[in-house]
Amino acid sequence: MFDIEIGTAGNVKLVGRLDAAEADRAQQIFRGFNHPLTADFSDLEYISSAGIAVLIETYKRLTAAGHAFRLTNMKPRVRNVFTYAGLDRLLQIE
Amino acid sequence: MVMRRFPRTVGSLQSIVSFVHEFLAERGIDPEHAHDADLVIEELFTNMVKYGGGQADIAIGLDADPARLTIELRDAGVEEWDVTQSAPVDVEAPLEQRRPGGLGLHLVKRVAENFRYAYRDRTSIVTVTTRLTP
Repeated sequence: MFDIEIGTAGNVKLVGRLDAAEADRAQQIFRGFNHPLTADFSDLEYISSAGIAVLIETYKRLTAAGHAFRLTNMKPRVRNVFTYAGLDRLLQIE
Repeated sequence: MVMRRFPRTVGSLQSIVSFVHEFLAERGIDPEHAHDADLVIEELFTNMVKYGGGQADIAIGLDADPARLTIELRDAGVEEWDVTQSAPVDVEAPLEQRRPGGLGLHLVKRVAENFRYAYRDRTSIVTVTTRLTP
């Protein structure tokens, strides 16, 4: 199960497991954001390469448009996946 | 080893996670410690679904001791493809040069203690061990 809770002022919260089964749906939701974005990962339990690909695409698209994309409050086991992928230094993870 | 077969679609992932977590819970192991195992199984399973070229269900086997999980995936009726020899991913490359693909097997190599491939009777057999950590 994966969900994106949309808050105010460009804040969203990722909930559940962002895996290959949920990546297409997540991608469609993220493509609807065309403004600075802060994603709260505190309730994201799991991410795989399919989820990482969605976030990379979103990051490239938003930054190309001059918008920030901040990724916040990751659990250590989720952050580890970004580290293994060499993305912890490239994305704006706080 | 406990084996179960799953239809070759990413829609099987939720059933696979339930299988892994129930297997661990029955042995008194906190499924919260299975993140690396979940990652390995998803990446290998989706790789077989997307690129394996087979038609049959994919079998997943599990064996555990308190510190580690042994995972086996069997994909029957396919050509030989040694996934342990996949091209490396340049994790130092800037984001602009990153292309989709390859990251999943890189993640498997990164978290696996052991990662082995065998091919017998037109069946790819991939075996991985991961540590069970908080």
